[in-house]
Amino acid sequence: MSGALRFNVMHFMPYVYLPENHKEFKSTWVSFPNKYYDPEKGHELYQRYFEQLILADRLGFDAIVLNEHHNTVYSMMATPNVIAAALIPQTEKARICVWGVPPNFMLPNRLAEEYAILDVMSKGRLEVAFPLGTGMEYWSNPVNPATARDRFRESLKIILQAWKEDGPTTHYGQFYTYRFLNPWPRPYQKPYPPCYIVGTGSPETIELAAELGFGYSSVFVTQQRALELNETLRERAAHYGHTLRPEQLPLLTFVYVAETQEQAEKEYVIHLQRFFEDYARSTPQWLAPPGYISVEQLKIRSAGADRMHGGFDFKAIRTSFFIAVGTAENVANQIGEWAAKMKTNHMNNVMHVADMPHWKAVKNLTLFAEEVIPRLRPRATTVSKGDHR
Amino acid sequence: MSRFVREEYIVDGVKTVLYTAGKGEPLVFFHGAGTMDGFDFAETWTERFRVIAPYHPGWGESGDDASFTDLHDYVMHYLELFDVLGLDAFNLVGLSLGGYLAAKFASEHGHRVKKLALIAPAGVVDPDHPMLDIIAVPAEQVPPLLVSDFEILKKRLPEKATIDFTAARYRESTTLARLLWEHPADPKFMRYLHRIKIPTLIVWGDEDKIIPVQQTQLWRKLIPKAEIMVFRGAGHLVHLEKPEALEAVAKFLS
Repeated sequence: MSGALRFNVMHFMPYVYLPENHKEFKSTWVSFPNKYYDPEKGHELYQRYFEQLILADRLGFDAIVLNEHHNTVYSMMATPNVIAAALIPQTEKARICVWGVPPNFMLPNRLAEEYAILDVMSKGRLEVAFPLGTGMEYWSNPVNPATARDRFRESLKIILQAWKEDGPTTHYGQFYTYRFLNPWPRPYQKPYPPCYIVGTGSPETIELAAELGFGYSSVFVTQQRALELNETLRERAAHYGHTLRPEQLPLLTFVYVAETQEQAEKEYVIHLQRFFEDYARSTPQWLAPPGYISVEQLKIRSAGADRMHGGFDFKAIRTSFFIAVGTAENVANQIGEWAAKMKTNHMNNVMHVADMPHWKAVKNLTLFAEEVIPRLRPRATTVSKGDHR
Repeated sequence: MSRFVREEYIVDGVKTVLYTAGKGEPLVFFHGAGTMDGFDFAETWTERFRVIAPYHPGWGESGDDASFTDLHDYVMHYLELFDVLGLDAFNLVGLSLGGYLAAKFASEHGHRVKKLALIAPAGVVDPDHPMLDIIAVPAEQVPPLLVSDFEILKKRLPEKATIDFTAARYRESTTLARLLWEHPADPKFMRYLHRIKIPTLIVWGDEDKIIPVQQTQLWRKLIPKAEIMVFRGAGHLVHLEKPEALEAVAKFLS
């Protein structure tokens, strides 16, 4: 990849038919009753979302980003590798990013295998990220949150060993024993697909990414915090002898483009509001199951207002997070500024949120591809001259 | 905690804090999965016993040890502490999770325990009358479930949960998660309860919303010689709600 800006389309594939009484529930995660899921409607939604992502590939977006969540309307991708497998034959150029499956919820060899299958099927278009998984996922999966971080580290070690070393090898750890670690197939890309860790900036995961030389995608943190995290990550990676390249620091943005600023806000803000208020609505207990974070982190998080899960003030949210809404020119300028400030060339754009109708998503993708990307690509070559693989 | 004296020990590397008061035969008290109710209720026992109330590692004022992942680690911890204290034989009282621990200790090391009193003990698996999986209950809903008359517990809690109070509860729930997130019950626990041959009293509140009082039937089968006393109008924290329950324990141990 050159120094040009890279544009992903990240999709959550939400289930948008919330029942009328949904506000009676403190959270739309974990215990939100699944009787409200209608598979007929789910089928229509998958059709619609696949159309959007296939369109993104045709329009020239560089990558499609998927991720995993459980027991929620927020996402219909409880197992994103299935979605990735369906996308591969329907797309041509876009990289397929599974960002990702929390390794704690799968046997590590099996995750290494599934990712290798996707990489071989797509002839090396796969990228993966390793999330610890949100607190909510630990209420929904039979894995102990109090030992999650230790298990996560061990899982990563096994996966990388499976990819890097010729098998069979062995692993005798705290959580897993492998007498014959020898997965078939092996990844198409050598030694393995580009890897990231994705998280909300816990010191433990930052350190792990730095140690492994992985990219890091901070999600749902404020602009200031994201900036600090990127700086910390560069420093810590250098400590371990790794030089982070700009594309290893994808920046999560929420983007909507329309003909005028006014039109863009009119069409978009209601969906963003529903995203924060309804789809991401969670509770302190769901967000932090016992042992998921340290007591010190809990105090920090309890002290700060939680701007992500349940409240909405567009002006405040717009300046806290990376949200670009407006004309192509405004959006392009905004993204250009962020790229320079964050020293990244990798924009991970959420372009469909909550119950946004299909036509708006298609319009957003099209206008972005035709009017925003061309404005940014020439500029981008001067933004970054980092070393690249 | 007027009469109690705080003592601090390092037990196999873990800071262990206990409160002690009174004279007479030693009475060791194992607290339950939360320590917000304190030890002051035990003052009544200090007239007849030398009460020793330790905080388990990961609870209250004792230190943390993330390697404690099994109740047996606590059994080993207390063997060590009792050696440090020079306690050869003693009366053992356990509440809820502490009752589970006390019964496990007594089934393995019965010769160290003179008499055993279990207050609404956890640990047995009763499919017909299961224990409430308290980990899944929203934190703010837990206190009213612990008692029959909430006023009794309310005065022991802060009016509004401060960050420190919330953090203390989170820390204790983390310790609990290490022990039993993946396996809330150990099916083998019941298998060895028959080894308890010492005099045993089991105390319960008939309005227990955490561990149903019907579990006394199962305990009766598992430890046939155990004496069982049920107190009317009391919830899980029967020792706070019914002074008679504390008196019954003292009388039994005397």
